This record gives sequence, structure tokens and C-alpha cells, in this order.
Amino acid sequence: MTAVCPGAASRLALGETVSEALANLYAQRQRSALALLGILIGTASIVAMLTIGHMAQRETLKLFRHLGVDMLQIHAMPAGNYPVGELDRHAIEHLTASDPDVIAAAPLTADHDTILAGERQAELGIAAVTPDLPRLMSLRVADGRFIAPIDDGNLVAVVGDQAARKLSAPGAPLTLGSAVRVKGYVFQVVGVLGPLPFTALDPTDVNNAVMIPLAGAGRVMDSAKPTTALIDLRPTADAKTAGARIVARLANPTAVLQVISARDLIRGLNAQKAIHSQLLTAVGAISLLVGGIGVMNVMLMGVMERRREIGLRAAIGATPRDIQLMFLIEAATLAFVGGVAGLAAGLIAALVTARASGWTFSLAPWVLPLGPGVAALVGVAFGLYPAIKASRLNPIEALRAD
Amino acid sequence: MLQVFDLEKTYGSPTRSTPVLRGISFSLEAGAFCAVLGPSGSGKSTLMNIVGLLDQPSAGAVRLDGAIVDYAAAEETARVRNGDLGFVFQAFNLLPRLSAWENVALPLLYARTARPDRKPLALAMLEQVGLADRAEHRPAELSGGEQQRVAVARALIRRPKLVLADEPTGSLDSVTAAEVMALLRDLHRRLGVTILMVTHDRDLAGRCDRRIEMLDGRIVHDSAFA
Ligand SMILES: Nc1ncnc2c1ncn2[C@@H]1O[C@H](COP(=O)(O)OP(=O)(O)OP(=O)(O)O)[C@@H](O)[C@H]1O
Ligand SMILES: [Mg+2]
Repeated sequence: MTAVCPGAASRLALGETVSEALANLYAQRQRSALALLGILIGTASIVAMLTIGHMAQRETLKLFRHLGVDMLQIHAMPAGNYPVGELDRHAIEHLTASDPDVIAAAPLTADHDTILAGERQAELGIAAVTPDLPRLMSLRVADGRFIAPIDDGNLVAVVGDQAARKLSAPGAPLTLGSAVRVKGYVFQVVGVLGPLPFTALDPTDVNNAVMIPLAGAGRVMDSAKPTTALIDLRPTADAKTAGARIVARLANPTAVLQVISARDLIRGLNAQKAIHSQLLTAVGAISLLVGGIGVMNVMLMGVMERRREIGLRAAIGATPRDIQLMFLIEAATLAFVGGVAGLAAGLIAALVTARASGWTFSLAPWVLPLGPGVAALVGVAFGLYPAIKASRLNPIEALRAD
Repeated sequence: MLQVFDLEKTYGSPTRSTPVLRGISFSLEAGAFCAVLGPSGSGKSTLMNIVGLLDQPSAGAVRLDGAIVDYAAAEETARVRNGDLGFVFQAFNLLPRLSAWENVALPLLYARTARPDRKPLALAMLEQVGLADRAEHRPAELSGGEQQRVAVARALIRRPKLVLADEPTGSLDSVTAAEVMALLRDLHRRLGVTILMVTHDRDLAGRCDRRIEMLDGRIVHDSAFA
């Protein structure tokens, strides 16, 4: 007799069982396709959910890249008949001393205007700021310096990276010492900022702006008073109570004050995301359940149709465990194929979502094995009953089946 | 080689039981070619299934190659069926998806024979039954006689000690039946395998070394003791 190695006693080569499983599934492809569809939708929604969640998280963090998650913004909207809502610059700058939760505070006001430099002219943002702004917005000066206390109301300007490009002509680059003209006033450039991509929360797009000292803003803007306060809170501070306290301190008859808190925004975004992922999880779970039942159905029918084969295999030496394993691997293979298709569909859905939301597509690598893995597990779970049924068939009756 | 002691088999519930085998005893020496005859319903297939370890007796014992069969040990009976026994059925029972050689090689799968070794073994076995040129054909592309030859090759690929053939020519016309019978005789002589064959055909039975006749679950005649 041929020697049987004891370790392999009940283990068949996985590879060929899988290839045989694939051949069987192909033989009953119409029925398999229905079961696959459920698994596909289930896996796709789970993969889409995880990938979208992953991207949303990255996007949320990107949103607060400049301002940090402890940021508070106060915007003054005009109240009643006042043409502009105003804030008090000194009250804002005094917050650091007067409010225990405030680490830094910077007033600013922003507008648009036509800016000229030599022969060039461009429609750009103009922001009236104080020396504290770089700290609050993580600004980096590439060349020269930022606006300093000594500038007071002088005619100096710091130019954003993109704005500097727009104001440069071939052979006449905008550099330190160049002059920019706004509404007839000539400002001398003392600094150029490094590139800083705009995020939706930034109070102004500094990349595309010319910044001038707030004290002299009255010359080129409607009001020399700030309309926005950027505040950095202590990480331990409660954003709501601190916000209310600061609003009370800055309140004045010209303005209705609007508070934007990074924490609140994140909470809102997370809540929205949670609803999405709960929905997708439910869809995924239900589809996987339906798919699993489909797999069970396909396998049960397969067992019924292949009774003779099962009896024959038992007669030529398959153990009940061999038969069980054969059907389990078939169920897992069926589900795995659906899982791979679902992975592709889920990633496409995530890609489309990313495009539609203007996000950069990014893939969490652990999603790749997870999708098809979950599907294969579902296949094994739902294939168990048909497999056990097959292994318990009486070989004589099975051989007599037609 | 094979000893059967007082084998009984009863089907049905305790209230309405049908005795099918009522005390069968015989022994078969190695290398025998023995026919089992008897009218329909006399219990021939039931006996073959019990000797083939596919069914359990209600009473009695079977000794195969010196060891009493433990019918409760599923893994062990599967191993014996794979290595020591070969089956030839009336209905061939080839798997339609597989080619002739793949059908022949199927028992090697459960013997855990390495995959590259299987094809040469199967081809050699097909050669022995005269079907070397049909190795890649599917069962549907083969005649009944050819299909049964493939089945015979499958039964013999593991070089079993005992081949159990339940009406192997029952689905074939008399000419083809004679050819398959001749093949069995030939393989019996060349490979020295022991064969127990159920048949209704007195002519074919006459070409066996020994005949056991059954009636109503009993052996009524055994040519070895005539
Ligand atoms: N699972 C079963 N349950 C109840 N009775 C059965 C079962 N299997 C077989 N029988 C009965 O046992 C008896 C013998 O059957 P068996 O198949 O062994 O006969 P046989 O000699 O092979 O007949 P044939 O020549 O027609 O093949 C028959 O009366 C049959 O009805
Ligand atoms: Mg019979």
C-alpha cells in the first residue's frame, strides 16, 4: 500500500480544491451570479464606507491644518443700519491677558481690490492684519519679514506666494523693496510668504492676498477696524463657554457676532460621518446576509445535484471531512470572488465620492484584504450547513440518486 | 483475504423490520474471481455494500486482510476503501466534468499522491485497459463499454486487494459485456487482484472461478463446496 503521511491525513491540496471549486461554480454560473451579487453589494458598501471614512478623516484634518483644532473665529456682521460690523482691535488684542482660555488672538479685516505692481495688475485679496497673524495661521515667511509692531500704520506690505507670482512680470519679478499700488497708495514690499494652500476655514486666502498693517487700513478700506478675530484657545478650554464669554466682551451695537469653533465643526462633521457609516454598515450587513443566504442556496442545490458524485467520492476513499472541506472551499471561493468584485466596486464608489466632494482619493491599505476576507468568512459561515449536510449523506443512497 | 461471518442486515423500524441478509458466511482466498448470483432482491448489493464498507451490518463481522472491520471508524474505513478496495458500478459513476484520466486519477487525490505523479499513473492504468488514446476524452464522448473500462481503471489505480463489481455489465449490450468481462479476466490474471462480481448473466458467471448463489438473504449454493 502507498504510505500515507499522518500530518496530511485529512488535508487536501488547497490550490486544486480551489481550482475545482471554480470549475464547479462556472458550471452553475447563472445560479452563482445571483449569490455573487449580494456578496458584491455587501462587500462594496463596506469597502466604500471604510475608504470614504478614511478619506473624510484626512480631509477633516486638512481643514484644520493651518488653524489647529483649538481655533475660534469671530466674524462681525453688520447690525441694523450700520454699513459694516466692527470689532474693537484693542479688546481683541487684550483677550490674551483678560481671558484665561485664550493663548493668542489676532484681529483682521479682508477685502478685494485691484493691485498694481509696475506694469502688472491683478485682482487680489487685501488683508489688514497685525503682527500676531503668522502665529495663528501657521504662516511662513519665505523672504524678508512679516508686518512688525514698528510698522504701525506705515505703507508696507507682505505678499502671499501666489499673489507675488501674479504681480511679477518676466524680467521684473516682485521682490523685497518692490512697490505695489492700491487705490493710489504705494506700499513697499517687506516680505513674501511661502506657499500656503487655501483651506475652507481660512478667514482669507493669504496665498492670493497682499497684507498691510491694520493701523493704516483706513486709507484703502472702508474701515480701519477689524471685522474678524482669530483666537487660539488653550487645549483644555471649553469652546462653547469661552466663545460665549469672548462674544460678550466684544459685543457692540454695530455688529452681530458669529462664532465658528473648530471643535464644533469637527463634531458636526463626525456626526454626519457617523450617520453615513451607520447607513452603509446597515446596507453592507444586509447585503452580506442576503449574499450569504444566496451562497447557502447555491451550495444546497449543488449538494442535491451532486449526490452521486458525493457517493462516488465516499466510495473511492473521501472521508466525511474531505467532503465537508470540498464544499466549504467552494462556498468560500464563491464568496471570495464576489468579495473581490465588491472590493473593486467599493473603491470605484469611493473614487466617485472623492471626485464629487473635491477630496484627494486615498486608500487605507488594510481595506484591500479586509473586503474579500469578510466575504470569504461569510461564505464559510453560510457554507457550513450545506457542507455538513453533504458529508452526512449516506453513500449508498447518494450513489443510487438520479 | 476476505472472511464474512454470519452477516445479518435488517432494514426498517423495530416494529416493521425487513431482514435482507440472514446469516451469510463465506471466505475468499487471495486471487479468487468469484461471481455472486441470485434473483432480484436476494440481497446481493446489500452484501457488496457491507463488504465494501459503505454500509454497516446489523450483526456478524467482516475480516479484511486479517483485520476485523470497525464500521464505526469513518476515517479508517475511508482509508481502506481508498487503498484496499476498488469499486465498479453498474452505472459507471464517472464525473462528467473530468476527462478520462482525471476520473482514473481521482482515488489518488484521497491517497494524497503528489499532483505531478498522478497523471503518469492514470495514463499507465488507462493503457492497461486499452484506452491510452482516450485519456483526454470526457465521459460523454465515450461509449458505454469505454466508460466502464475507465471505471475499471479507476477501481484498480490504487492496486487494491479486492475489487467489488456490482453488475458491471448490467448496462451494456452482450457483445460489450463480453469485452468488459474479458478485460476483467485479463486484469485478474495479470495483476493477481481478487474480484467479487455480482451478475445476472449465467454465461459470464460461468467464466468465473467460483459462483455463490443467493436467495432471500441466504447463500443457497457455493461452487467451492459443490
Ligand atoms: N435502504 C433500504 N431500506 C429498506 N429496504 C431496503 C433498502 N435497501 C435495500 N432494501 C431491500 O433489501 C432487499 C435486497 O436488496 P438488494 O439491493 O441487496 O437486492 P439485489 O440482490 O441487489 O437485487 P437486484 O438484483 O435487483 O440488484 C430488497 O428487497 C430491497 O427492497
Ligand atoms: Mg443489486
